[in-house]
Amino acid sequence: MQKLKANLIEHINSGFRDAVAKDYPNENRLDFYVNKQCIPSILTYAKDRLGYIHLSHIAIVDWLEEGEFELIYIIWSPEEKIKMFVRTRVERENPVMPNIDMIWRQANTYEREFREMYGIQFQGLEAPEEFILEDWQGPPPMRRDFDTEEYANETFFHRPGREDAGDVREEIIKRSREEIPDFAKKYSR
Amino acid sequence: MSYDKDSHKIFDFIQNWARKHSIWVLAYGTGCGAIEIPPTMTSRYDAERLGVRGAATPRQADVLLITGYLTTKTLKRVIRVYEQMQDPKYVIGFGSCTINGGMYYDSYNTIKVLDKYLPVDVYINGCMPRPEAVLAGFAKLQQLIAEGKANGAQKYKENLEWYRENQKRISPHWVMPEYNW
Ligand code: SF4
Repeated sequence: MQKLKANLIEHINSGFRDAVAKDYPNENRLDFYVNKQCIPSILTYAKDRLGYIHLSHIAIVDWLEEGEFELIYIIWSPEEKIKMFVRTRVERENPVMPNIDMIWRQANTYEREFREMYGIQFQGLEAPEEFILEDWQGPPPMRRDFDTEEYANETFFHRPGREDAGDVREEIIKRSREEIPDFAKKYSR
Repeated sequence: MSYDKDSHKIFDFIQNWARKHSIWVLAYGTGCGAIEIPPTMTSRYDAERLGVRGAATPRQADVLLITGYLTTKTLKRVIRVYEQMQDPKYVIGFGSCTINGGMYYDSYNTIKVLDKYLPVDVYINGCMPRPEAVLAGFAKLQQLIAEGKANGAQKYKENLEWYRENQKRISPHWVMPEYNW
């Protein structure tokens, strides 16, 4: 498998000089960090020449602190049995991405969802504007800076009576003598 | 037969007595609470002995059970279904999600207070209510019907503008018929 991977890195790097490879030894997985403009060409190349014919997923990470979205195209070769993660970054303000639904048609669904949930525009994406949300009036709801509670309080009626709902975590932790991890403390009310 | 006050009373009594013993529930599960309906209907709790049974279409049903959270998308369909039902019709709000949002109180796409959009006759609290609680809710509804107090449909008719305004706040692109019953 290491040989296959080395071969793959060599192939990709010969065509795409600025693709940075990251290897995970002992895992059938290989990451490439590329520029967003290269995405269609690198995916086409992987599909047509290297046998990575299956798009298994497109994932997205919202790096709010860095002001960027990270899109991860996960493709799979049934022959080599290696997963390839093609990663790219795009700015959070007015993000525009190249469209890849002519390479894999199922990408269309992912792209519509990203457009609706994260506000990412895809160049030349042909699809109705609405996907899952109907009559949506707010900002894209899956962005990390979208405050769902505030939005819900503004949009929907509120019935008073839950203000005194206490945080029972302290009590539970005291009884079971657990430690709260640091990252969880900031979510305590 | 002359319609004096007393015969009206008798007529109402018979009508309500008949209504309360044939509560047909529309089989339309909205939230996770719908999973408590099968045990309520089947042999262990056997709601049919109280006259509670399922109906296939809104036109045949008397009760609309809102079994839990309602997303803004489902709300539209539920309103449409409610308006297609024929009198007498009642609404039961089922689970804390319909009362104050339950555990989805901060969700961006579920409504929190059902009675601003549809007239609710009986609320059953719990997350989710057990079949005993559901039966208690039905018993309460029967009692209200017998007393002639379950008049949500009347309230809806009389305050239609107010309900419509609230409904349109959620769905600004209203494509449903303005009214039909
Ligand atoms: S009240 Fe509880 S069980 Fe019912 S819909 Fe809400 S979360 Fe689900």
